[in-house]
Amino acid sequence: MADVARIVLMRLGLGLLTLLVISVLIFGAVELLPGDIAQAVLGQGATEETLAALRQELGLDRSAIVRYVDWLAGAVVGDFGVSLLNQAPVAEVIGPRFANTLFLATYAAVIAVPVAIILGIIVALFRNTIFDRVANVATLTSISSPEFFLGYILILYFSVQTGWFPSIAKLSDGISFFELLERTFLPALTMVLVVVAHMMRMTRAAIINLLASPYIEMARLKGAPGWKVIALHALPNAWAPIINVVALNLAYLITGVVLVEVVFVYPGIGQLLVDAVTKRDFPVVQACCLIFAATFILLNLAADIGSILTNPRLRHPK
Amino acid sequence: MNYFVIGYYALLIGGSCLAAHYRKREVFLILFSLTLASFVMGIVGGENALWAVSIGAGLLALAAGTAYSFREFLILIAGPLTARALRTAPLTAAFGMFVIFSYAVLGIFAPIIAPYGEAEVISQSFAPADENMLLGADQLGRDMFSRLVYGARNTVGLALVATAIAFFIGAILGMIAAVKQGWFDQIMGRLIDVVMSIPSLIFALLLLSILGTNLIILVIIIGVIYSPRVYRLTRAVAGNVVVMDYIEAAKLRGEGMWYLIRKEILPNSTAPLIAEFGLEFCFVFLLVAGLSFLGLGIQPPTADWGSMVRENATLISFGEITPLIPAAAIALLTVAVNMVVDWMLYRSSGLKE
Repeated sequence: MADVARIVLMRLGLGLLTLLVISVLIFGAVELLPGDIAQAVLGQGATEETLAALRQELGLDRSAIVRYVDWLAGAVVGDFGVSLLNQAPVAEVIGPRFANTLFLATYAAVIAVPVAIILGIIVALFRNTIFDRVANVATLTSISSPEFFLGYILILYFSVQTGWFPSIAKLSDGISFFELLERTFLPALTMVLVVVAHMMRMTRAAIINLLASPYIEMARLKGAPGWKVIALHALPNAWAPIINVVALNLAYLITGVVLVEVVFVYPGIGQLLVDAVTKRDFPVVQACCLIFAATFILLNLAADIGSILTNPRLRHPK
Repeated sequence: MNYFVIGYYALLIGGSCLAAHYRKREVFLILFSLTLASFVMGIVGGENALWAVSIGAGLLALAAGTAYSFREFLILIAGPLTARALRTAPLTAAFGMFVIFSYAVLGIFAPIIAPYGEAEVISQSFAPADENMLLGADQLGRDMFSRLVYGARNTVGLALVATAIAFFIGAILGMIAAVKQGWFDQIMGRLIDVVMSIPSLIFALLLLSILGTNLIILVIIIGVIYSPRVYRLTRAVAGNVVVMDYIEAAKLRGEGMWYLIRKEILPNSTAPLIAEFGLEFCFVFLLVAGLSFLGLGIQPPTADWGSMVRENATLISFGEITPLIPAAAIALLTVAVNMVVDWMLYRSSGLKE
């Protein structure tokens, strides 16, 4: 087990390093601004005095490196500075919204993962039949549609025409958990549709890849039925690629969430990011980007580690 | 029970019996499972559900017919070599080609096809469809249909340019890395890893917030964000070519790097690169649509599918489907490109073995 721990630690270190480089990128991007932040916030009509005052307030008179170290040290303990718009601490604005986004993503994942894996296995079992081809076209359509298309179709049918679910995912204090699930059902379903299609296709590919191996042929020759070959022989070896697929798609959920939140007016971090981008509120944009990037890297890391743990061959790289 | 429902089931059951009699297993399976599904749908949704199924089947048959005739048409006008390749194309790929062809026609001849200008205000806001306006008016009273046609030019054109930029950067860097190897290859590889570990939509939003939503900047940003994917593929494909003997021979002849890239590597890696161009176009197209939907892409009054959906979204709460048409146009083109790419990938992998 020592070598596993070493590999995991190494991957963790590599992930942290990537995150560090990304934080430099995110911070450095704002430095690219023509003029500086004070100029961008106040616009062309600003007088020298107000500019100087704002620069003083934001600490722009210090060098970029000092400010970067300061910003990073703050970010590590959850202090992302104050919003340029209303002077509220960024962490306070982001905190509850990030929790909402995580809730939505978890909700979608809890439905999507089992459904996708089961459907993927079924489609692999019925490969090259008419069902497989129909599923292929259906998942392709789902992947190719923009998230807002699926979202609005769901609103049209499940909210406007039938009135089963609310079209706007409004959250208020003191609603029960069941009510919460009902209100966020449509946004979650939108993400489920996209992610299930991706995962199904990849699960199918992972299993079919394995079906060409000689030991599967052996199992068939000894007379095992098709479902047994897949469930008992192919699946245990397919877990590594499937875990990879699941983690990659959860990472995909994190970005897909931005569009879905805007469609359903869901108070999450994605909508906050879009608002901050249109209003050019840079501290909020930086913080949101860093959080998204960190989650993305973390999930990719989980995919890596998961596949190493389930596949002993990967522990000894050649 | 009325005549429609009776005829519907009679047709389905009769079809299944015929299929079973002539031992057409696939046809029987699909017809009979449709019959069983119709029982459930009929009970839940009533006659309307059965109508929906019939209309869906009709549309599907129409699409298949169009695809079939378009393929025959292409085979007739193409040269003998291309014609042989086209004969192997499945109907889905032919349908994809048909859709791409129609979008191209729409985009190129937009000013002739569209009855009004893209920014021309001709009636009240959200006016319903009449004999002048096929799809009614949008939130400012502009003709929806005209804007849809112009959108084919703007949105698809922008995505094409951005994809071309991504390809130009990614492919050239990838081939240089494959030829040069050493430190250049190493540094590029690490850099690409970092860029790829930021979600593309988030990266685009970050850069747009700083640089503003200018059309040229938008195209360049998207091109740069998507070039790493092209770089990886090119590096892998070119890496396999570089170790060939004829490259060694060219090197011994004293040929320079540009000659190697242009005359030896590029011709031998076109097939996977063309397929990747299609896939890449889909990603870029969806990103452009998403950004426009968020109000950060192509700026008004230029017609654009993503922003059209957003601007008219209020109509959806009145049960109108017009705002969904531009979104469906986006989905249809992406599906079509994917279908063609699927066939091309299948062909190139089949030819290799």
